[in-house]
Amino acid sequence: MSPSGDVAVIVRSQLDHRRFTGGRAVGAYDRRARSAMTRPLSRIPAGVLLGAALAVLGGGCGGAGHGAATTATTTYRGFAIAGTSASAQAVADAAAQKPTGAGVRSELSPLPATAFDGPVARYRAYAGRQADAMAGAVARLAAALRRGDRAGAQAAWLAAYARYLRLGAAYGALGALDTAIDGTPGHLAGGVRDPRFSGLHRIEHGLWGGAPLATLLPWTARLAGDVGRLRHVVRSVAIDPLAYATRAHEILEDAQRDMLSGQAAPWSGAGVLATAASLDATEAVIGTLRPLLDGRGEALAPVQTQMAALARVLAAVRRAHGGAWPPLDALTRAEHERIDGALGALLEALAAVPGSLETTMTPTIPTIAEQAR
Amino acid sequence: MSLDRRGFLLRSAATLGAGGLAEAGAHGLLGGGEARAAAAPSPDGVDPGLATRVPFDGEHQAGILTPPPEQASFLALDAIAPDRGSLAIGLQELSSRARELTQGSTIPPQEVDDPPVDSGTLGTTIAPDALTVTIGFGAALFDERYGLARRKPAGLTTMEPFAHDDLDPARCHGDLLVQVCAQHRDTVAHAVRELLRPVRGAFALRWTIDGFQGAHRGPSPRSSRRNLFGFRDGTGNPDVADEGLMRRLIWVGEGDGGPAWTTGGTYQVVRAIRMHVEFWDRVGLREQESMIGRSRVTGAPLGGADEYENPRYDLDPSGVRIPLDAHIRLSNPRTPKTDGQRILRRGYSYHRGFDAAGQLDTGLLFVAFNRDLERQFATIQRRLADEPMVDYVTPVGGGYFFVPPGARGASDWVGSGLFA
Repeated sequence: MSPSGDVAVIVRSQLDHRRFTGGRAVGAYDRRARSAMTRPLSRIPAGVLLGAALAVLGGGCGGAGHGAATTATTTYRGFAIAGTSASAQAVADAAAQKPTGAGVRSELSPLPATAFDGPVARYRAYAGRQADAMAGAVARLAAALRRGDRAGAQAAWLAAYARYLRLGAAYGALGALDTAIDGTPGHLAGGVRDPRFSGLHRIEHGLWGGAPLATLLPWTARLAGDVGRLRHVVRSVAIDPLAYATRAHEILEDAQRDMLSGQAAPWSGAGVLATAASLDATEAVIGTLRPLLDGRGEALAPVQTQMAALARVLAAVRRAHGGAWPPLDALTRAEHERIDGALGALLEALAAVPGSLETTMTPTIPTIAEQAR
Repeated sequence: MSLDRRGFLLRSAATLGAGGLAEAGAHGLLGGGEARAAAAPSPDGVDPGLATRVPFDGEHQAGILTPPPEQASFLALDAIAPDRGSLAIGLQELSSRARELTQGSTIPPQEVDDPPVDSGTLGTTIAPDALTVTIGFGAALFDERYGLARRKPAGLTTMEPFAHDDLDPARCHGDLLVQVCAQHRDTVAHAVRELLRPVRGAFALRWTIDGFQGAHRGPSPRSSRRNLFGFRDGTGNPDVADEGLMRRLIWVGEGDGGPAWTTGGTYQVVRAIRMHVEFWDRVGLREQESMIGRSRVTGAPLGGADEYENPRYDLDPSGVRIPLDAHIRLSNPRTPKTDGQRILRRGYSYHRGFDAAGQLDTGLLFVAFNRDLERQFATIQRRLADEPMVDYVTPVGGGYFFVPPGARGASDWVGSGLFA
């Protein structure tokens, strides 16, 4: 094989076999950790959340050493393509010593891991802007709390939450910071009254639960500190290529399972806003991957069609509710069905993305007889 | 699953006023070509499979080693009987009705002014249809209400939430679990309705769930049926015809910590495991197979050709062929140390609508029997804590139950040992 084969060898030697075959498990693992984090507190047994927290910590050491996946990524870390006029595909082809030609490339030809450097770098820049905007929303939240404006505080909270959801492709690498910002208290002995319960959902609980606004200021100050760290972290976070390609659909699968079902953000009921923010994050990820997907298999066109369809459905719902994202319980049945359906159709289209972006050939499984020799 | 079908048929095949249909009825439980051969309609229009009868009384309860029929309902009940005596009467009634229903009967004519003694949903002839009713007790029954604390089975606990469980308290535990299985859904539904009728003052429904089996679709009579992930399920089950093995893995023995009335019983695990099938259906085939450790088409361990082939982990220490965290490898590593941990699975698929986001609420009704919950099931389950498949399933309900030995005859009843 060409040098792309060398990439495969490097990575395969450090990752287990499975993570390589479908390119899903790394991100999927991260997703599980997150989903437990965002479930309503009353339904999460303590052991589960503790496990999930450990999973986040374990899976989230990405920056320093998320197993080998990161090692592979950091080896190729660089922003070179962002500063060149070459397309990512051209860079990919050069790295793979392939001629740059027209037409649909076989999906069976693996991409070198370096081909993801540009997309991930662009996503980091996007995530950095979201973190900046989140910091602004948290500042507005604090100001609204100080002047006793609950409606203003709720609006600022929703804005902060929506910004955070746009970091969906990076969660797995944020580790304890993600828990501090977006964790729920299900794993804490005292539940919502546990002093360790902090972050967005501690404030959400108070804002929609009628807590005196002044009592939320310390939590907001702590959140502001965490978001300050976030602004730096997301700009240098390491995201492995497989996890990145996989997050393209997992962000919205999370939205479907946890947000549109009403499990996440239980006090604000912000499932539609969360879905819209998750779509935005997905559009950002797909946008960065477009140079790789363009002309590589058939995945891109249906994804673009269905992303646009979901965006139209969401926009119509927003218009019908006076230009604001309605809480889940304000949706009519028809609206809920249209969102569910458009999201489902988009997810079916997105499912083809990771397969189009494999960084290695799917290995052949040896037979028992071969191993017995 | 390696079932001793012949032995089962010898024990269970019987007729109910349908004479020569018994043999055909027995064939109804077989798979593949045999079932097709038996599918000829009878002259009176009665489905020949209905005649299959499984004894209610015996050393062990039915519905454990007997092959799982096509349909099932699981009823978790809370005891509301006001006192110990009423509880005993309720349990007697339950066994009595279960015996009548499972063995078959004809509804007699009666006064037209009275409500009919039977719902009539099966007509006047209640054919057994391989119906089994299996009665178990949850740990809660042994609290202070009925003074049964000293009778509590040594190994009975309340099911703990395992890693990644999202248990809904409204769908967990219970004082009793009644497992109702039969070949046809109407038989199960009829039995559930009739079983509850005489015990309304003693037991209240806590949660229920209905299950179904995949059809026997070959390619051989031994081939395991498929679950809703599309994989054959139950391949690794211990051989129920091996009595010594069953004593070792399934039946509580005299040396197991007692009390004495528990000897010959077993512990039942029920877990409603939601499968996120929409997610699963978007996973590449190779990754699906790597998560399970088997070929989806044949059921063979990866790298093998036959469903029942030994996966030979000894040849694959680094997981090149079957990943080290594949489901079959974690659940049964096939080492001498884990051999005694094996359990007898007897699961069903379930389907019960959809969630608020329009996603199917469907999955596996995991049912297993073992002699020691902690040493067997819980040990396996903890080993599976971080298998990759956890992303595609969410256990949402269930519980642990002790299934007492069977009733010794028409004058006995399941659970009589509680009051002896």
